[in-house]
Amino acid sequence: MLTWACSNGRTLSTLPASTCLPTIHSPAVSKPAFFNSVTGDGSKIPNDRVLDVLNTPIEGAKVPEINEQFARRSYENMQLLQATLDDILCRGQRQGRIPFYYGEEATVIDSAADDNLYRETGVLLWRGFTLDGIMAQVFRNHEDSGKGRQIAVYPLTLSWHYGSKQHHPHTISSPLATQIPQATGRDALKMWPACFFRGRGSIRDFHAGMLLASTVPSLILFLARDNGFAISTPNSQQFYSDGISVRGPDGNDVLAAMNAVKEARRWCLDGGRAVLVEMMTYMSRERQEVEDRKKNDEPITRFCLFKSRGCWNETDEEEFASRLRRDVIKAFKRAGSVKKPDLGDMFTDKEQREELVALLKKYGQVWEPWQNELGTLKGEGILWVDDRQHTTT
Amino acid sequence: MLARRLRSTFPALSRRWQTTASTTAIESPSAGGYPSSVASSQLFRMTRESALRTPGISWQDEESDRNIVGGRETRKMNLYQAVRDALSIALAKDDSAVIFGEDVAFGGVFRCTMGLAEEFGRERVFNTPLTEQGIAGFGIGLASMGHTAIAEIQFADYILPAFDQLVNEAAKFRYRSGGHFSIGGLTVRTPTMAVGHGGLYHSQSPEGFFMGASGLKVVIPRSPIQCKGLLLSAIRDSDPVIFMEPKVLYRSAVEQVPIDDFALPLSRAEILIPGSDLTLLTWGTPVYHCESALRLLNSPPPSLAPLIPPSLRSAKVELIDLRTILPWDIETVVESVRRTKRLVIVHEAGMTGGVGGEIAAEVGKRAFLRLEAPVRRITGWE
Repeated sequence: MLTWACSNGRTLSTLPASTCLPTIHSPAVSKPAFFNSVTGDGSKIPNDRVLDVLNTPIEGAKVPEINEQFARRSYENMQLLQATLDDILCRGQRQGRIPFYYGEEATVIDSAADDNLYRETGVLLWRGFTLDGIMAQVFRNHEDSGKGRQIAVYPLTLSWHYGSKQHHPHTISSPLATQIPQATGRDALKMWPACFFRGRGSIRDFHAGMLLASTVPSLILFLARDNGFAISTPNSQQFYSDGISVRGPDGNDVLAAMNAVKEARRWCLDGGRAVLVEMMTYMSRERQEVEDRKKNDEPITRFCLFKSRGCWNETDEEEFASRLRRDVIKAFKRAGSVKKPDLGDMFTDKEQREELVALLKKYGQVWEPWQNELGTLKGEGILWVDDRQHTTT
Repeated sequence: MLARRLRSTFPALSRRWQTTASTTAIESPSAGGYPSSVASSQLFRMTRESALRTPGISWQDEESDRNIVGGRETRKMNLYQAVRDALSIALAKDDSAVIFGEDVAFGGVFRCTMGLAEEFGRERVFNTPLTEQGIAGFGIGLASMGHTAIAEIQFADYILPAFDQLVNEAAKFRYRSGGHFSIGGLTVRTPTMAVGHGGLYHSQSPEGFFMGASGLKVVIPRSPIQCKGLLLSAIRDSDPVIFMEPKVLYRSAVEQVPIDDFALPLSRAEILIPGSDLTLLTWGTPVYHCESALRLLNSPPPSLAPLIPPSLRSAKVELIDLRTILPWDIETVVESVRRTKRLVIVHEAGMTGGVGGEIAAEVGKRAFLRLEAPVRRITGWE
């Protein structure tokens, strides 16, 4: 079920002010009454599913057409992201090898499969971002095109080696929801989905974003993913209802999510207005919660079972899973030994660079902690100031 | 002024230890280890005697003779345990006190509120939705009714969405009402400064942004004893206070901390190492980097010895911890600079618009004729 931010199809508020005088269109009544502005009769927005718990298509559900190659690629990406990458990087963080990581679920892949999307590792994997690229960001070495500036787990860059420029995902920032209004501005001209966790609907920037999206209007597709929590805070402490749109498609059902996003995209483009889709899913956590949900509801399992009536068997599965693990571990090990970004990537201000050069010249060769640090950098401490190369060696 | 009912502290004390006892085991360092300057610092008070004689300590018991030190106990705590200890004293003694913020109920992302929800109830220690603006506004509202509102902003980097509430509302509350209304009961706690892997949005030191908000106080402790005493003072202060806790010190800074209720004064700097040749002014984590630097200056290792002239090695540098950034202790700093004639200010935040500029200008005005060198600022890169 889709809800949409209110709009009347105008573009960029170009109509003269006289046509915007406020008028009331509602009927006048003598007694005040409460109403449910979403469904009218007070019922909840249903949770869309294509596959039931036993992973057979539900009667009447529209099963999206997927060819075998597409299905396989979806499955492979989901397996890579959730079962392998998340698992290994989470463990890496617990063991102290990398400072920071949090996992993500398969909802993102199936949405990306259907359409362009905004952040999240899953999107990047779908678009061809390599494991080496992800590891470079996590280890913040010089191969990260974000120049190691962001905290690990934001594998977002502005440079793609292939693909068209319009597919660039934008670099993300930690303060939550700040980029929702930004996305609205970006998409005032063309459609591009934004994506966010449920908890961020609490922040004022979300409301600001909705306002702009509905009035300008902005051709934006918002995909809210609800995993029931924001760090440790359950939904019940976040808001008094079930979700932004009081439920939406089952995010753990790959096919339902694909349907929903396809429909939403069509509504957005045809109607010229913003659309919000909320998907119920979960984030990778090492807790009982995940185990419970996993038993019944795991997207990969469901999709796999669905597709297993044809293309995939157990040997394939085992071989595939172990190949993925090998690839990820290989990339992880390699990234750990790649050098950190060039010193010049830290900042560009000329005076600061001169100051740093002077300090390095004086202490860089004799003070061991600095020598060690410089040794880990690409270029080993060479710094450019005014086209002149300075080095401590 | 709200009358606060005080309970007998003894039953409260024994309950406090239930929540802190399980976590007094030695904490292992995170990936990257503890910063070496903190690990090797001599500034921590590691014995009961030295802890009980912390300068400026003021015991807040009901007993008649408040200054007695003998018989008081201390306990080994790191910074987050000291925070928790202070919070539990505040909750125990002040019935109107509540603690709220993102994820505080389960103990907080830095464990500062561990066990408090279980001990004092979920109506007093509760989670808020994800909205810093909402948290600040809510706290202001509570405090305006005379309650003690202890808000937590999960990272100082995220205090910016609350900036409007803090600067336009909290700071001006008393002034705009002509003194009729005030929100002294508001305290906003937040982890600040770099931790090594935080990147752009988990490492900032935003104290400089608040310098123009007259009506607010900004406090930054350097150690567990300082943290507990300053936090209790901040909670009880009659002005709203932003209390910034250097997050890299949460586990790495360990001291013997007096278990009783005590306060340390706000707006008073502390001279950590007396000196006569130069004043080195700083706060928070850089206190330990400065201490290391002074040690290197006085007795440089062989690799650095050729770079440090012997005449400088006997320099006596006065190290001052500012503690309260707004309003800062102008008197102590200026008096020190008048004696030493040189000032260097160190802070983690960038140079432009940082607190150092404000201090340099003020010192320049008051001690211009005594200074033998321009005031120098050593700060984080921009």
